[in-house]
Amino acid sequence: MQEAEQGPTPAPQQAKWAKVIDHQSCIGCHACSTACKSENEVPLTVHRTYVKSVDVGTFPQVRRAFQVTRCNQCDDAPCTTACPTTAMYRRPDGIVDFDKEACIGCKACIAACPYDAIFINPEDHSAEKCNFCAHRIDVGLEPACVTVCPTQAILVGDMNDPGSAVSQFIHREAVTVRRPEKATRPKLYYRGAHQATLDPLAAQRPEGDLFMWSQQTTGAEYVVSGSSPEAAGRRGDAGNSSAAAVLSYDVGHKIPWDWRVSLYTLTKGIAAGVYLVSLLLILAGRLETGGALWTWATPVIAGVFLAITGALLIWDLEHPARFFYIFTRPQWRSWLVKGAFVIAGYSAVLGGHFAASLAGWSAGALTLGWVGLPLAAMTAVYTAYLFAQAKARDLWQSPLLPPHMLVQALLAGSAALLPAAAFLEPAAVEPLLWTLAGSSLLHLLLVWGENTLPHVTAHAREAAHEMTSGRYRRFFLAGVVLTAAAVAAPWIGVAAAPVALIGLLAFEHAYVQAGQSVPLA
Amino acid sequence: MTDDRRNRVSADRTATEARGETHYPGPSRAGLAAFPPKERWDDWVELDSKAWPRRVERRYCLVPTTCFNCESACGLLAYVDQQDGTVRKLEGNPEHPASRGRNCAKGPATLNQIQDPDRILHPLKRAGKRGEGKWQQVSWDEVLDDLARRIRKALEEKRQNEIMYHVGRPGEDGFTERVLGFWGVDGHNSHTNICSAGARTGYAFWCGIDRPSPDYANAEVILLVSSHLETGHYFNPHAQRIMESKKKGGRLVVLDTRLSNTATHADAWLAPYPGSEPAIFLAIANHLIQTRKYNRDYVRQWWNWREYLEADHPDEEPTFENFERVLATLYADYTFDFAAQESGVDAAEIERVAEIVAGAGTRLATHNWRSSGAGNLGGWQVARTLFMLNALLGAIATEGGTTPNAWNKFVPKPIHPPTPNESWNELSWPQEFPLSHYEMSFLLPHLLKARRGRLDTYFTRVYNPVWTNPDGFTWIEALSDEELVGMHVALTPTWNETAYFADYVLPMGHASERHDLHSYETHDGQWIGFRQPVLRAWRQRRGEDVADTREVNPSEVWEENEFWMELTWRIDPDGSMGIRKFVESKKNPGERLGVDEYYAHVFENSVPGLPEKAAEEGLEPLEYMRRYGSFEVTSKIGEIYAEEVPDAELDDVATGRLGRVYTRAPKPPAANTVGTGAPESDGDGRRPVGIDVDGIVRRGFPTPSGRLEFYSPTLVSWGWGEAAIPTYLRSHIHPARLDDGQIPLISTFRLPIQIHTRSANSKWLDEIAHTNPLWLHRSDAERFGVATGDLVRVETDIGYFVVKAWVTEGIRPGVVACSHHMGRWKLHKDGQKQLMSTVSLDRKDSGWKLRRQTEVAPYESSDPDTGRIWWTDAGVHQNLTFPVHPDPVSGMHCWHQAVRVRKAEPGDEYGDVYVDTAASERVFREWLDETRPAREHSPDGTRRPHWLLRPLRPSREAYKLPT
Repeated sequence: MQEAEQGPTPAPQQAKWAKVIDHQSCIGCHACSTACKSENEVPLTVHRTYVKSVDVGTFPQVRRAFQVTRCNQCDDAPCTTACPTTAMYRRPDGIVDFDKEACIGCKACIAACPYDAIFINPEDHSAEKCNFCAHRIDVGLEPACVTVCPTQAILVGDMNDPGSAVSQFIHREAVTVRRPEKATRPKLYYRGAHQATLDPLAAQRPEGDLFMWSQQTTGAEYVVSGSSPEAAGRRGDAGNSSAAAVLSYDVGHKIPWDWRVSLYTLTKGIAAGVYLVSLLLILAGRLETGGALWTWATPVIAGVFLAITGALLIWDLEHPARFFYIFTRPQWRSWLVKGAFVIAGYSAVLGGHFAASLAGWSAGALTLGWVGLPLAAMTAVYTAYLFAQAKARDLWQSPLLPPHMLVQALLAGSAALLPAAAFLEPAAVEPLLWTLAGSSLLHLLLVWGENTLPHVTAHAREAAHEMTSGRYRRFFLAGVVLTAAAVAAPWIGVAAAPVALIGLLAFEHAYVQAGQSVPLA
Repeated sequence: MTDDRRNRVSADRTATEARGETHYPGPSRAGLAAFPPKERWDDWVELDSKAWPRRVERRYCLVPTTCFNCESACGLLAYVDQQDGTVRKLEGNPEHPASRGRNCAKGPATLNQIQDPDRILHPLKRAGKRGEGKWQQVSWDEVLDDLARRIRKALEEKRQNEIMYHVGRPGEDGFTERVLGFWGVDGHNSHTNICSAGARTGYAFWCGIDRPSPDYANAEVILLVSSHLETGHYFNPHAQRIMESKKKGGRLVVLDTRLSNTATHADAWLAPYPGSEPAIFLAIANHLIQTRKYNRDYVRQWWNWREYLEADHPDEEPTFENFERVLATLYADYTFDFAAQESGVDAAEIERVAEIVAGAGTRLATHNWRSSGAGNLGGWQVARTLFMLNALLGAIATEGGTTPNAWNKFVPKPIHPPTPNESWNELSWPQEFPLSHYEMSFLLPHLLKARRGRLDTYFTRVYNPVWTNPDGFTWIEALSDEELVGMHVALTPTWNETAYFADYVLPMGHASERHDLHSYETHDGQWIGFRQPVLRAWRQRRGEDVADTREVNPSEVWEENEFWMELTWRIDPDGSMGIRKFVESKKNPGERLGVDEYYAHVFENSVPGLPEKAAEEGLEPLEYMRRYGSFEVTSKIGEIYAEEVPDAELDDVATGRLGRVYTRAPKPPAANTVGTGAPESDGDGRRPVGIDVDGIVRRGFPTPSGRLEFYSPTLVSWGWGEAAIPTYLRSHIHPARLDDGQIPLISTFRLPIQIHTRSANSKWLDEIAHTNPLWLHRSDAERFGVATGDLVRVETDIGYFVVKAWVTEGIRPGVVACSHHMGRWKLHKDGQKQLMSTVSLDRKDSGWKLRRQTEVAPYESSDPDTGRIWWTDAGVHQNLTFPVHPDPVSGMHCWHQAVRVRKAEPGDEYGDVYVDTAASERVFREWLDETRPAREHSPDGTRRPHWLLRPLRPSREAYKLPT
């Protein structure tokens, strides 16, 4: 084995690689699936490409519709936008490629991909997907799936070459792409694909965790295509299709962000909120600048929770030791990068505040507030943009999310300050209780608004359903009930603080997980 | 580290052609190649996919072999890593004329089988009781000496019939049959009668050749009673060509009771009640006849209508006009309405298909494999009535038509052909089934238990009857009884349910670890494919000497070719028995023949055009085959039966009353030894050479009459007058024969991603498909009160199994189906852990109970992937609950079962199987009662019509019934 040079080979005339999957020819044999596993040494449980199938119709007018499912090689690829380290990148020839050695395993690309085409390889813990077998194309060979296909149903070609078969297909045939509403401009075109496969929610997912010859991947961390039998029942018939359609084969996709991300939203909210609330109360004249709450509790609580936040974020990485790549090779469109720098700036402010307090220089700490206030607010709010960058997750594409994040920070901050205030500065307890009550009420109003307005997309509707009545119902209910209790904080007292925090965490968990619970492929 | 960006060789068209090398274009017409240029196969550099985007180079040697993951025998190219000498991947072979570089899912998965952590690596000898699961490692020498001693003793004591070789998928043409020939034993047993006997019988009585070879690519209309877009003979080569026809505007008609991937692509999909297919075909035939849309001149020239008129209408003058008049009455009752009533398919839809067929002209490609022909009593009429449509349209051996397979197959003459043996083994060829196609393999345990014979030494190879055959518990009973089976030797690369009941388990190589030579009727052409141990070929290319495949195979894994030659040598070490000479080197007399000399001889002497083709590249024929893996002998065969017989073959000619022409001229030597029907001579020393067609002597068909036998005098004279012409026989699961509450179960359908019980060792395939729920229509599910995933109990005549329900629109209401492949089990630690559950077997007298103890689970092994196994379900072993159903004519096991389906009972667990083998014995007897044995019906005192095909055809003397 020899190592040669780095980087893609420049082509003399820039190609633009695209693929066509011809479902008028695809016989559903799965040759592409295993040829890909072999060529790219893809482990069990994950897939760069697979063949989903849906049985459409009622006997005897029935067919099995296939969909060779994989990365769409988007011209405007959300994964490259979301990737903090350019581990996912678009080559000049249009191939969306990846560099496993640059991957920190943050899974932002997975959250961003509207097609759920990316996965973490359990062997090397880096993000991976179909890259058109770039290593083969660069030595003049067709991708493995193209070569193996018995019926020549997969074609690769240069869109800039009018003589290529893909050019002819793309420009002369009725081709389509998956989920065009995501505006990613895919370069993977389907001919003869059925609506029942293109729309992940069209088909009904069978009961019994079963497909026609395999089990469904089960467990809360997996998402399988189709509408759940329960959701289908809610609509009265099948999935998002007026024709009968039953999912007959699919593979499970792992949800990228687990409870650690749910918890991170809370710890980060506390870290940001403690400072925000303190400073706002000072500005409102309800807190002493010389008091223990502002001098000590605020920087210490915020600092500790910011440290926990950082620890959670690093723990959530598949390559924790590579966390510093965010700072050494930042990709500036990524909100993970922007957020990291905001957090870094905010932690510097907290450090400065603490140092000023040590030095007894209270004016300094207050002056820092000019920088601290916007940084704390950004720390609270940037997550909304990070979530929105997860283009696939319609639930998170809410314009109410930035103010909601801010409100949640105020809620978390006031709740976190309350016990300290009771101990250190009893005079602050009352304004804090009212802040908690107010922010809790606002939070509930925002939740109410988000869930009662009709959702624009079926995906968002499905996710909201999973949150309020489905898989995450109990977390959501607990969240609402406990936060509602916190509205009565001025009458309950300091005991409302833990109630509010647990309620917020429960809600966050329901929100973060439900946002990822809808099938995309 | 080399900066070789400019020097790295590209496979793209411009670069390749500039170097004067071969560009293998892919389908994309994008300048990219599908494969590296063959000039570079010795040393090809690719970039490592794992290290990407770092450009790490891997140097490969590309060595061809043949896939063994189904009967299609597609070409593979093994990528041998030059650095460590391992196979890193297997792609298609662009030089293969049938598969043309493409593969199905199972081709690449060959790599899983090579690397399978559960594979058997050493010869094993049973240590405890049979089936106890205790094994000890032994040496090959010990095994060979022991077996040679046993076989020699049996042969010396004239116990020839106690030696049996039972093969599932041969994967080769004739090698092992020859070995049995050397030994002088009638010991060939096969899987044919659980697979293709029904179809073979239908074709054989028409044309003397027992399989079809449709020219799909050029067909106007393709009519399938098969699922060739996903399985079967020959899946990938056929699927390519079916879709090719469709892309050119050809139309596809598929008959399948359940929605297959093939039915999905059909322009017309008929989902008939199982067994009613002949009624549909005869309605179509009747339509062609009544509307005079058949090829009248063709029928006049090629059908044996005169023979039919003479026999059945002796009062009529034997003119074609009279025959047509009779013909118009013969099938008049087969109206579309009748076919609709039998099949449940809408009459208008059948009529539409009839019109499609009528428009095909001579470009009608048809195929019946397994499916209905393998499911029903009388199922041999499926192929017979289907082929009748070709015979009516003259679409036989035409471009776009269907060719009798022997003409699209090439079996080269070997180095030492054996002489016919003198024995007749009634365990494989019982007198009850004189017309069977062929060995009554699945009756073996019943015949053994009935003391019709015993086996001293029984070899199974790529054969797993305990699992695959019906009535597996009776197999276990027979295999466990040392009185019935003295020694059972399982030749297998992987564990299977039958090997657990062996005395020796001998590890044999996978597709890239063994030699085989084969040829299949994938299209209108003739080709040979060569399977080889790729590391042996690789080492030889590097100039190393490899004399024994064990030198390159993992641990002590061997291959059958060398095993059989060595065993044969040891049976007769001094040559005194006259056996050794068959495995003796011609080049070095006194030494054992090696595989290199064996194949070199075949390629140099028996394959026309190969030596010349090899010489063009400066290679010896064997080197050529080791380098390219296949050779196209010829293409576009055409209508061989219409060829004029050359004068040189006509000497002292005699013409029979019905136009059969006989000659005294000796048969010209032929390199192709493919078997066909062998019509009798004229009794005066002349051999049949052709037929008189309008005054010209043409080759004709290898049938007694030389014509297409619409009317079969053979069937009539052996007691089956009611089936003299193509007809519709009501199946054993015909609604009129079902008891209340019974419905048919289709148990045979295959999946595109598994192959029988040979692919449990393929993790990529197992991950895709690992269970076999019972398919039932929504209306039936409602009737039974079950939903998808619920447990149901399926009761057959001899027991029941408990399985999950899969509620679907993709099946005819009133019929249930359960796919093949799944339900694999093991009793002890050894087995294919990724797709076998561990079960307990409990026996109380004749009552057997199988219960799942442990499901599939992740496990630690040399392959980290086994720790990621996420599926737990390995399916349910349904075949155990099927009694034997031998068709009295074809000998086919009629797979379909009449079953009762209901919700599982309290106490039932998923995967439960219960069987009473006394009941299975009773069903066996009932079906045996329906036979017409040779001793009562033979017209000439023989056991079987001599002209019919038969593997390992013995001497004429052996054909005589014992007096």
